[in-house]
Amino acid sequence: MSRQSFLPFAARRLGHALVVILLAYSFTFLIISVLPGDPVSNMLLDPENGFTEEEIAPIIAHYGLDRPVLEQWWRAISRFALGDLGISLRASRPVSAMLLEALPSTLVLAGTAMLVALLLALAIAYASQSLPRRWGQGVARVLPALSLSVPSFVIGLVLIQVFAFQLGLFRITDPNGAAATVFAALALGIPVSAQIAEVLIANLDHEAGQEYFAVARARGLRLSQLFARHQLRPSALPVVTMIAVSIGELLGGSLITETIFGRKGVGSLVQSAVVTQDFPVLQSLVSLAAVVFVLVNLAADLLYPLLDPRLRRRAAAGRPA
Amino acid sequence: MSATTFSPAGRRGRVGAQPLAVLLSFAVLALVVGWSAAPWLFTGNDPFFGVTARKLLPPSAEHWLGTDHLGRDLYARIVHGTWSSVTSALIATVIGLAVGGLLGLASGFLGGWVDTVIGRLIDMLLAIPNFLLAVVIVSAFGFQTINVAIATGVASVAVFARLMRSEVMKTSTAVFVEASALAGGRPAHVLLRHVLPNAYRSVVALAVLQFGTSILTIAGLAFLGYGDPPPAADWGLLVANGKDYPSSPWLVFAPAAVIVVTVLAINRLSRWIRHAA
Amino acid sequence: MPPDAPLLEIRDLAVAYGPQPAVQGVDLTLRDGGSLALIGESGSGKSSIVRALCGLLPAGARLRGTILFQGQDLLSLAPARLRALRGRAIGFVPQDPQNALNPVRSIGAQAQEAARLLDLPDAAARRRRILEIFARVGLAEPARIYDAYPHELSGGMLQRVLIGLAMLPGPALIVADEPTSALDVTIQKRILDLLATLQAELGIALLLITHDLAIAAERAQDVVVLKEGRVQEQGTSQDVFRRPRSAYARQLQADVPALNPERFRAAATRRHGDDDAIRVDGVHKRFHAGTGIVQAVQDVSFRVPAGTTHALVGESGSGKTTLVRLLLGLERPDRGSITVGGGPVQAGQPDSLRALRRELQLVYQNPFTSLDPTWTVGGIIGEPLDRYAVGRRGDRPARVVEALRAVGLAEELLRRRPGALSGGQRQRVAIARALILRPRVLVLDEPTSALDVTVQAGIVEMLFRLQAQLGLTYLFVSHDLALIRQIADSVTVLRQGQVVEQGPVAQIFSRPRAAYTGLLLDSIPRPAAAAREAVLLDQGGED
Repeated sequence: MSRQSFLPFAARRLGHALVVILLAYSFTFLIISVLPGDPVSNMLLDPENGFTEEEIAPIIAHYGLDRPVLEQWWRAISRFALGDLGISLRASRPVSAMLLEALPSTLVLAGTAMLVALLLALAIAYASQSLPRRWGQGVARVLPALSLSVPSFVIGLVLIQVFAFQLGLFRITDPNGAAATVFAALALGIPVSAQIAEVLIANLDHEAGQEYFAVARARGLRLSQLFARHQLRPSALPVVTMIAVSIGELLGGSLITETIFGRKGVGSLVQSAVVTQDFPVLQSLVSLAAVVFVLVNLAADLLYPLLDPRLRRRAAAGRPA
Repeated sequence: MSATTFSPAGRRGRVGAQPLAVLLSFAVLALVVGWSAAPWLFTGNDPFFGVTARKLLPPSAEHWLGTDHLGRDLYARIVHGTWSSVTSALIATVIGLAVGGLLGLASGFLGGWVDTVIGRLIDMLLAIPNFLLAVVIVSAFGFQTINVAIATGVASVAVFARLMRSEVMKTSTAVFVEASALAGGRPAHVLLRHVLPNAYRSVVALAVLQFGTSILTIAGLAFLGYGDPPPAADWGLLVANGKDYPSSPWLVFAPAAVIVVTVLAINRLSRWIRHAA
Repeated sequence: MPPDAPLLEIRDLAVAYGPQPAVQGVDLTLRDGGSLALIGESGSGKSSIVRALCGLLPAGARLRGTILFQGQDLLSLAPARLRALRGRAIGFVPQDPQNALNPVRSIGAQAQEAARLLDLPDAAARRRRILEIFARVGLAEPARIYDAYPHELSGGMLQRVLIGLAMLPGPALIVADEPTSALDVTIQKRILDLLATLQAELGIALLLITHDLAIAAERAQDVVVLKEGRVQEQGTSQDVFRRPRSAYARQLQADVPALNPERFRAAATRRHGDDDAIRVDGVHKRFHAGTGIVQAVQDVSFRVPAGTTHALVGESGSGKTTLVRLLLGLERPDRGSITVGGGPVQAGQPDSLRALRRELQLVYQNPFTSLDPTWTVGGIIGEPLDRYAVGRRGDRPARVVEALRAVGLAEELLRRRPGALSGGQRQRVAIARALILRPRVLVLDEPTSALDVTVQAGIVEMLFRLQAQLGLTYLFVSHDLALIRQIADSVTVLRQGQVVEQGPVAQIFSRPRAAYTGLLLDSIPRPAAAAREAVLLDQGGED
């Protein structure tokens, strides 16, 4: 893609991404702050929590709960845009500090899970094309559908039951150990790998039915060359799309996985924020998840022209119908 | 010109197995419907009262799937928990289908600024990870199974809207749609008689698939304790309760297996709908 | 390999995908340096034979028989040796060049794959050889082509690249599977010429698969005629065209317009009206495509007297499709005016267009996309009656049946859906739908180009019977000049949106003034002189 056509394309996509982030923040704000009365006052006024009138007033003022909703929204989103994530109601600490504490563990978990997911998906996809037809391929093709029918918490519990309790490969009392991390990543990564594998297999099959695949085969290529150059390479674009979309799956799934494996991380932070109704934390974390999702997908979009030469001059070479 | 078509790799060989798997899936679904409609026909045991002395018994002829920590019959609890687990997934699917379907239809058929606005809304819903979106909604509305169902439904709106939009746009540009306009068809006629009938099959397939996914999501939310509290017997909640007794693994695996088999059957039926000629 | 053994000998070949065999008991031989054409329509099994030979059958297919190539039985060879033999000794030229190269890899990268079978020291040496071959197959800028991606080249250039790739390892046999059916006629001729030159100069044998009898007659020494997986007839092309023995070969030969200049002329007799049914005056249309502007139609004018047939001829990009869409009011011209039956075509005015379309209907090129798969045949044909509320509701079914009979279909088809119909039946349904409102003008956009030649013959005859009965005016869009010569009264030749020349068919075809028209006419395949003579003798016709 020439520079003249790439820059406007990138700028347009960036603007689009900002709009989506803004909307996602506002939507979360709407759900949390407007619909069922406002949760902060609910909590403060709950007699069980034992706040006095004098304590309540400054907090209400701090959150601007005495102002019109639109103004509250504006204040919240301005702060968010400036990187101020607010203060936890329960821990009385800045959300950003809590997030920074929790982030490394979750990044390690999600990164390992994505790696595991990619390796598994690739292995299953290769098996689906190269194994003997009736049994080998059949099994490889059923696996993704099967693992997509298993709740992720069940995968986690089975891994713990088998590999921690029966085989003793890791201890759940040390959730951040290397072995425990790998198994947690498996629990998180298996559903993601199944999604990627389904897309990959569908695309590999599609490529295998293309005329250029037949022509390359007639050229005398080996199966592994055919797979890499004429099946996998043309499938890269939909797979990158799927990987970018499954970032959301990883972020949402970390909630359950971290809870089951007893890890401290962003997911368990969300879980405790939900249980304690700590809405500033919840609002920030969910909005940040949306930001991550949007940015990853933006990166994927900007990558497409590299993966498919036909997209490089989409603007330049229009053809008549 | 040569119309000799070659079946894509992998189709052949499963042709013979297909009807059996589909029949089994229908049987599983029938059993699940039976469990939710008339649980008392399938078990004589009380799901809510147990004999504490008979707690944590392994599966036996008397208690097919064993008993839990209060001595309650697990099979009875699973059967009686079906209604709530399945109906909430159904409610979620209907919400997603109705709201998402209408948004996608309007977006795809009207185009222009309507499409732009709805398109951004869909992008926004997609940007918030599904499970987190459901979690936020449930925590704002309160921990109840009905709220879990609504939250799961809202979280699935985007998927339906996106598919409906692309199906409608694909069909709207089909040659036979233009042919209908040439035959004097006005837009409403074209939409109702040509576009929708051709778009509905993949949307129905998605709805069935999403029904299975909703069962999983709702089980996940129940597992985290966001649904009705015990003694409710939602499948996800049964697994969550069972995991505290690692020496009685059936408490986890029996309800888990029920979830897996149900979702597997539903997914198989979705694939069958998508490919049926 | 004994000295006199043929290069390729197929004995008793059978291919099956499901329970039904696709190919049965096929024998054929091809000698070193010879040329053989496999002729057949869709479902004839010709592609299955090629795919069996090139090892491209899908995994579920079952094979029987022997394929002897250079004395070795391909079907009993170990996979690795087979792969190498095929890559080196058999070059494959596919049907649709636009789809035959991997779109995300450069031409050079794919050429390197083919060149790796040669004993060349390094990639640079291979590149030199590739560029030589590209020049040999008539590609003007080999280095630019080498670096290009498939989507940057035209169909004709891609087909030359593919022929070059097939030639690269120095094969003994080139298998060309309908190598020109996706290309424009003028390019078709050049590609066939190239294959013939390579065959003659380098002594490479050619196995040509085609549905086009005229091409086979012109380009191959021997022919094999296939139908439903069985050989109907084989021999030298001279014999088969001079004395077709099988009924199917006779029918095929009779239905090809290029072989039978008089085939449809009798059908196309009609009453001439006095007024113009269609008037197109100085029409311009341009489209914005990306950053550029495409002048799709530029200052086109023509008139069609009522009751006659006017042909629009042109290759891809000529603007004929845009012109059809302008005529139907599906696009609005930038300048100029169009009237049909005295009334103006006003794009963007739904009521005016609705009224217009009672007089003007369209038959689409591809009957596989123009019929709603969820509707029944009866519903499809009756749709215009219901939409325009023609007559009483109770009378409409009778009119639908009448229309169905008029296009030569049986009443049993009423309840079928398009999926259960053949291509020819679908196109008849589409014609019935177009005619049920009794319009005066019918636009036929390549109505037979997606169909087999024997099916085409039936539909063309039916169309002109209806024209004579109903006094219809036809605007017939086609690229098949041999057909147009027989059926049209007047013709407009289009190129890149402009009129190259227009006038009565007799004059344009016998004394073309524009060089481009001459080029088009030259591209009509001419069977080898002897065969052609035979055809003319048999029919007692003259040129």
